[in-house]
Amino acid sequence: MTVTATPSRTAALVRPVRTRRRPDVVRSRVAAWVAVGVIGLFGLAPIYWLLVTAFTPDEKAFSFPPSLIPTEITLEHFVNLAKNEKLFGYLVNSVVVSLITAVLSVIVSAYMAYAFSKFRYRGRTSLMHLVLASQMFPQALLLITLYALFSATGLLGAYTALILSFTTFTLPLCVWMLKGIFDTVPSSLMEAAAIDGASRWRTLHQVALPLSAPGLVAAGLFAFVRAWNDFIFALTLADPERQTLPPGLVHTYLGEFQTAWPDLMAASFVVSLPVIAAFMFLQRYLVGGLTAGAVKG
Amino acid sequence: MRRLSDAQFAWLLMLPGLALFGAIIAYPLVSALVTGFFEQSLVRPGRLFVGLANFADVLGGDFLPVFRNTMIFTVGATVAPFVLGYALALALNAGIRGSGVLRGLFLFPWVIPGVVVSFLWLWIFNANYGVLNGILGTHFSWLGDPDTAMLAVIVTKTWASFPWMMVMLLAGLQTMPKELHEAASVDGAGTIRRFWSVTVPHMKGIAGIVFLLEFIWNFQHFDTIYVLTGGGPAGATKTFAVAVYDTAFKGFDLGHATALGGLWMLLLLILVAVYLRHEKEDVR
Repeated sequence: MTVTATPSRTAALVRPVRTRRRPDVVRSRVAAWVAVGVIGLFGLAPIYWLLVTAFTPDEKAFSFPPSLIPTEITLEHFVNLAKNEKLFGYLVNSVVVSLITAVLSVIVSAYMAYAFSKFRYRGRTSLMHLVLASQMFPQALLLITLYALFSATGLLGAYTALILSFTTFTLPLCVWMLKGIFDTVPSSLMEAAAIDGASRWRTLHQVALPLSAPGLVAAGLFAFVRAWNDFIFALTLADPERQTLPPGLVHTYLGEFQTAWPDLMAASFVVSLPVIAAFMFLQRYLVGGLTAGAVKG
Repeated sequence: MRRLSDAQFAWLLMLPGLALFGAIIAYPLVSALVTGFFEQSLVRPGRLFVGLANFADVLGGDFLPVFRNTMIFTVGATVAPFVLGYALALALNAGIRGSGVLRGLFLFPWVIPGVVVSFLWLWIFNANYGVLNGILGTHFSWLGDPDTAMLAVIVTKTWASFPWMMVMLLAGLQTMPKELHEAASVDGAGTIRRFWSVTVPHMKGIAGIVFLLEFIWNFQHFDTIYVLTGGGPAGATKTFAVAVYDTAFKGFDLGHATALGGLWMLLLLILVAVYLRHEKEDVR
């Protein structure tokens, strides 16, 4: 694409002005590339380094100065991971907790979002704002009495404590995301169902929910990622053998005499994969949800 | 069965969610604020009412240094990614080739789990084998020195959050009508002039919200700081989140932890109130 191709229809009318603008456009495009280059280096070099370390043999990784371009590649760190039974246990915990959190979040937030979207009643607006604000309370403070509460009810250490907490913390965003989606389901469809004799429950389950399926999947993925990534609650509320990968990795690798950095980078890579996959799908929902249809496509 | 009114049906739908909010957020929050007035241990049962003693202790002790650290971290870790994210959004919006692919690529630091972010930068900052020291030819302990630890933590958090800023601000830029810029340049406004007179006013709403949200999140951020430094060295990176957590779960002192937490909450509530007002105005 050439620079002259960008100015639009008005260009023909203002030819002299456009000619004067050309160096301006070139300059801002050069500036754009410089910005992308500098910030890109900052943004992507660490990820490059994670990958390089994960595939570098120990004796090379622990040499100084490190070579920026790998000279030797190995899979030994991934083999080490696969052989580590404790890590496998953490992985199972992560999968169980995140999956159940995702399903529970979708169910609870869909009902709530539907109530917010399709009915008008006293207290609705204030409640919506409260839901939005609730994600901003300091979790380190909540954790103290949650610990006591779960301890008193005998739930401390079990999956339940984690799942209930994570589900609650995903609700604000899931509810807002799904409310936006239910808002786009025309009320006339529901009225039609009601005229055909469907109860409100049937209308909800057989009309509104199927039409919102992609949104439900997005909300579920978001909740899954939230549970998968959490550190502080999993660290504090779960027994050592019930902990998920983030605190599990800290226990396994940090605080030792010498951290096995390449193994840890390999583990980090593996832990990040499901999240990256989920976000590739989620990207447009998150942006779209927060900017409310302002972006095309 | 008697048919429910619409309002009753709506409340029934909200019941599970409200129950969770009550049990996991509202009750613990109120209970924590009450605990601030008691002397109570995490490991021993029973408690003793001590009035404002915990608050007095905290205000005379931890509060000021912790508040200072929290503000330094919050301002640094909000302004830096905001500037980087804004610059990147402007660059990607300037119509350069492959900006869609680049946007996806730049999301990675934000997408990967927070603990992984911490591991990665621990390794980069490592005094003996770290790549940063490798490039500089030094063996400096970035996270172990009270003078640089906070800076290192801010760099790490900046890295993890600038992509979110970029995405949100880019979305805002893309809603800006092209005609505005064209009209301004016909009137003879240069790039810089157009940025201040066209782009900035158009972006005020979204920029304000992302800045405020990031500020609120950083004000209570825990993961990165805790894994990178644990609040050290010599308390140089001890923010509210770390101080409250450590007082409760390492010192087992619930009274002082929740008193400090109560003061922290108060400051946060002010921020949240500002956010909600902003949000309302924006919705209108």
